[in-house]
Amino acid sequence: MEAMIECDGLTKRFGNFTAVDHLNLSVERGSIFGFLGPNGSGKSTVIRMLCGILAPSEGTARIGGRDVVRESEAVKEMIGYMSQQFSLYDELTVNENLLFSGKLYSLRDKPLKQRRDQLIALTHLGPYLNRRAGLLSGGWRQRLAMACALMHQPTVLFLDEPTAGIDPVARRELWDLLFEFSGRGMTLFVTTHYMDEAERCSHVGYIHMSKLIVSGQPDELKRLPEVTPPNTRRLDVTCDHVTRALQAMREVAGVRSATVFGQSMHLLVDDSITPREIEAKLRTVGIQAPEIHDIGPSLEDVFVALTARYTNNHTGARAA
Amino acid sequence: MRRPFRGLGAILFKEFIVVWRDPMTLFFMFFPPLIEMIAFGYALDNDVRHMAMVVFNEDRTVESRQLLDRFVNTETFRIVQEVGSAKELGTEIRAGRAYVGLQIPPHFTRDLRAGRPARVQLLIDGSNSTVALQALNTAVALALTQSTEMLLKESGRTVIPVEVRPQMLYNPAMRSPNFFVPGVIGVVLQIGTTFATAMAVVRERERGTLEQLLVSPLSRWGLMLGKLIPYLCIGMLMALLLFAIMHFEFFVPIAGSIVAMIFSTLVYVFALLSLGLLVATKAVNQMQALQISMAFILPSVFFSGFIFPRETMPAIFYWIGAVLPTTYFIWLMRAIILRGATFFEYLPSLGILLGMAVLLFVVCALRFRKKIG
Repeated sequence: MEAMIECDGLTKRFGNFTAVDHLNLSVERGSIFGFLGPNGSGKSTVIRMLCGILAPSEGTARIGGRDVVRESEAVKEMIGYMSQQFSLYDELTVNENLLFSGKLYSLRDKPLKQRRDQLIALTHLGPYLNRRAGLLSGGWRQRLAMACALMHQPTVLFLDEPTAGIDPVARRELWDLLFEFSGRGMTLFVTTHYMDEAERCSHVGYIHMSKLIVSGQPDELKRLPEVTPPNTRRLDVTCDHVTRALQAMREVAGVRSATVFGQSMHLLVDDSITPREIEAKLRTVGIQAPEIHDIGPSLEDVFVALTARYTNNHTGARAA
Repeated sequence: MRRPFRGLGAILFKEFIVVWRDPMTLFFMFFPPLIEMIAFGYALDNDVRHMAMVVFNEDRTVESRQLLDRFVNTETFRIVQEVGSAKELGTEIRAGRAYVGLQIPPHFTRDLRAGRPARVQLLIDGSNSTVALQALNTAVALALTQSTEMLLKESGRTVIPVEVRPQMLYNPAMRSPNFFVPGVIGVVLQIGTTFATAMAVVRERERGTLEQLLVSPLSRWGLMLGKLIPYLCIGMLMALLLFAIMHFEFFVPIAGSIVAMIFSTLVYVFALLSLGLLVATKAVNQMQALQISMAFILPSVFFSGFIFPRETMPAIFYWIGAVLPTTYFIWLMRAIILRGATFFEYLPSLGILLGMAVLLFVVCALRFRKKIG
């Protein structure tokens, strides 16, 4: 597969603070790359460098084979960018915002109107054409921001937390659109906080404390030996009084971690522990008939495990 | 191929709509300058007339009354009160009820007739120098005139030995508006323009739309010019309105070329708007943009020659004035509007103003690129 986005030792320092530390990354054409990490971990800084609006302190990045610093003009033609705040001109109507975005990329006359009509059809913005952008609700603002970012038919689209603060229906519809774009060969680079969104991506990367800890396909990552250490397995336990059950399970030797997931809990246990032992322990706190079955790790499990390992390695290194 | 003004059309399209739909900016561009023009135009008047005078006349003769009449006839003074003691004279001035106090001693007429110096005492409130100076000059001239007349009569000569015949060029009536209003236009145009471009750019940065623009292949020249042109149009509209007020309300005649006057204004407004763009590269938020823009106004009022002649200033203030666009604009306006200067006479100042405008614009475009990194 052809790499659409490539980062090689990409680094950004602000004074003494390193916001992005030697990031190496490759994103294939047509993939949906989910970029995850806590607030302040450097996600937006990476996007800004890739979009050519922030100069890297070190390292290089290429989009479609073009260097984002030296060939920024060519890169700008290729990319679309939808920022966190859905940056729109509130004084302009929906229609005017779309026309403006097209004009910025030198679209005019007939092609401009045609492209606008296509995007209106795609995003169902039709009824709001003459409404000021400032009067739209969150979900519609997001659609308009995306339509604006797509006016010039970019081959790579960057979305910085596109679903922050919008309702679940709009969120679902946005993802449907993203899959459609990806199917047509567009490369998508999406940052998000939502694990369920991460699960939908064809590739994910996780950044923590300015360093990319892991990247790859979700299934690959879940099979990483670091995520599920040798001689352990993951169990899902569904029972009454989950919180009381959680307390009890944490007292059992051989239970490495226990987390509540709604009506059930997820355990990481040594192979030596049998479902029978768990049932017995739960009975001592008055919980009867739990349902226990094996599960694979979720992406959250992957990130939790790898972050913990990274933190341990680093504090260990510092102590030594 | 690189197009230096790429995206200009898009920015103009957007900016004209935004300006039109943002009544607050339009209001602040038009309203304060208009008010200030009217206020400055009327208030900045050096022609002091009918200033309040109190009189303590101990003489009470025909001659002393004639002297008082002479004071009143200058139209500089008007008698508001006659008091009964020298002490009251001082009190009235201290209380601010009069600027001038005139005391005529009891032996005034006797001295006059006897050929001795007939002395009168004039008290002037020195706390307002303009008024004090005018009162002093008028009173001294009045006494000199009367003395000369009497000496002529005694000596039998019919004409005075030395006579100066002044002719006031370009402002024959010595009207203050003619001197001040062209300068006022320079100052109020600055009040109404610099902040507008500064705010327009900073607002985009605050809302995150600037980032969106930078991701596009828009050129910085296109962006800067696109931000500037709509406000240039509004600024020129404003200027024409101010010139109309100057001419039809304050009756300032336009002696020189109207085209030159308008072209100089265009260059001046362009320089001011570029200064606003430069402010935007420094300011963090709209409040700061406004404050920094306003900070440039005070030097323009004091060091541009608007009120005080630059030639008499300490060197440092003189040179501060030399780098202000307002200095050259006011000079140009006085040259073109009042003196009717010809092209080659005002060319040097226009050249400097033009250079400043271009320099400011280029510097802000270059600085702007750096701010991204």
